Amino acid sequence: MIEVRRIAAVVLLFLGVGVGLHLLMTPLRDAGQPATIKAMTLACGLALAVLGIIGGYLVARVPKERIGAVSAYLEGMVRKGAIGLVLSESEADALGRLGHAVNRYMTFVKDEIEQTHLTAKERQIQIKVLEAERRHIESVIHAISDAVLVTGAFGDLILANEAAERVFHFRFETSVRKPIEEVITDKGFLAILQEMRETGLFVPHRTVEWVQGGGENARTWRVILNTVVEGKKRERISGAVAVLHDVTKEKEIARMKSDFVSNVSHELKTPLASIKAYVEMLIDGEVQDPAQSREFFQTIASETDRMSRLIDNILNLSRLESGLVPVNKTDLAVTEILRDVSEVMTPQAVQKNIRLETDLAPVFFRIHGDRDMLYQAVLNVVSNAVKYTPDGGKVRVSTYLSDGSVVVEVADNGYGIPPEDAHRIFEKFFRSGHSGKAAPGTGLGLALVKHVIEVVHGGRIDVESEIGRGSTFRLALPAVR
Amino acid sequence: MSRKVLVADDEAPIANVVAMKLRAAGLEVTVAFDGGEAYERALADRPDFMITDLQMPGMSGLELCARLAAELAGGVPTILLTAKGFELDPSTLAGLPIRRVMTKPFSPRELLATVQELLALPAGA
Repeated sequence: MIEVRRIAAVVLLFLGVGVGLHLLMTPLRDAGQPATIKAMTLACGLALAVLGIIGGYLVARVPKERIGAVSAYLEGMVRKGAIGLVLSESEADALGRLGHAVNRYMTFVKDEIEQTHLTAKERQIQIKVLEAERRHIESVIHAISDAVLVTGAFGDLILANEAAERVFHFRFETSVRKPIEEVITDKGFLAILQEMRETGLFVPHRTVEWVQGGGENARTWRVILNTVVEGKKRERISGAVAVLHDVTKEKEIARMKSDFVSNVSHELKTPLASIKAYVEMLIDGEVQDPAQSREFFQTIASETDRMSRLIDNILNLSRLESGLVPVNKTDLAVTEILRDVSEVMTPQAVQKNIRLETDLAPVFFRIHGDRDMLYQAVLNVVSNAVKYTPDGGKVRVSTYLSDGSVVVEVADNGYGIPPEDAHRIFEKFFRSGHSGKAAPGTGLGLALVKHVIEVVHGGRIDVESEIGRGSTFRLALPAVR
Repeated sequence: MSRKVLVADDEAPIANVVAMKLRAAGLEVTVAFDGGEAYERALADRPDFMITDLQMPGMSGLELCARLAAELAGGVPTILLTAKGFELDPSTLAGLPIRRVMTKPFSPRELLATVQELLALPAGA
């Protein structure tokens, strides 16, 4: 209010003086006016100028002592950094009313400032919470094993987790905000992102499969893509999120399952084909000779046995692999198992005129294992050796200690395995092409041996072989000290 | 003059029973127990017809067919016997003289009828 009055005083002062002076000057310029008008104008100008000076002085005049008190009080408030009531309102004059108005205003300002402080504190807390949430989400994104990539409206990299860094070989810190084409080099994946950018408005979510690399190191990824669409009419793509899940293993398992089923059906159909053919021949009366018909019945019987053996083996292996067969481990002597196997195998060896030698150490090496499973495993290996060794050959079973393991070695001088097949013979249904004309097996024996030795007993099986010279299988089992 | 048929299967009971059925019908039959042996026999005997298993150690039935087609003009008309019928990709048979694919288990009676039917056809059909 004081300001207003001062301004009013100054304005009045200038107006009075200005207009007065103007009127004073006019008669001097217009020489042609009558003398009376000139004199009147002169007088009016003088009067207005004097009135302006007096009015301005009167309006601007405020009691000095009261303004001094207000100034001192305000200075004091500033020093204390306080906000609040300031003026005495006791006087009923204009200054008293001004004091009241200022007090109301100051109270209002004080409340506003307090409210602003409160809001600012709340905002700070909100920011901290949001910051914590953002860090939490980021750490979650970084912790998930799936690769996550987020791109912005211009195809620039906005977010990527460590899994994504590993998949695409880049460092997020140095790649952030760069165009995705500069970060990722794989053309196939870039094409997927490109298509997403082009069609994302119409198909915002999709899942595609992407194969990275080739050959044995090829990895298959299931890529889940989401477009972030913005705008009132959802007319603008503001980014894309790609989540990559490694399905290489799943694919491999699916393929193995399919191969397994296909192999099983093939293996079952083969003896079934013999049975059907032989039965039909007997029905059709193609076999007249009693000796020959007996031979036919024997073939049917042996093929039936083969099918049944195959089914048993499939079930055994499947139960074993799925952990359904209880494992009963005790401390036992390997030598005793080898002796039992050798005893059981001797008749077959004798029949083929094969020398079955056992070289068992005088010390009974002890291991911790399931006797029945180990017996079956060793029996399978020795039986294979006899099967794939021609008449008159030799099979030698021995045992020794090596690197804390008890090794069971089964060596033959039979047909041998080609080097390219050596690592595959433990696969289910794998048959080496050079097995000679040996009796057909189920193709599951060595798969079972490998499972029993390596998975059930934590041991190791390997084979050394040479075509025409024979094979040596070594089954290593952890020794009990 | 009796027609010569080559039977190739690593499953001896199958090869033997097929041979017996065909011989009873008056055909001249040679038996081989793997692809390599069948190849040698075919080159030596020049059979009019062949019945071969698909999966055999060493050389598969398809490889056998292809190699004979390269060696003998037009190859040997063949019936492919397989326990994997529905998994066979037809494109793998393209260009080979395979007249029929029969799946195991099979009927020797039907097999013989098919052979007779195919042998009665004029050469090159």
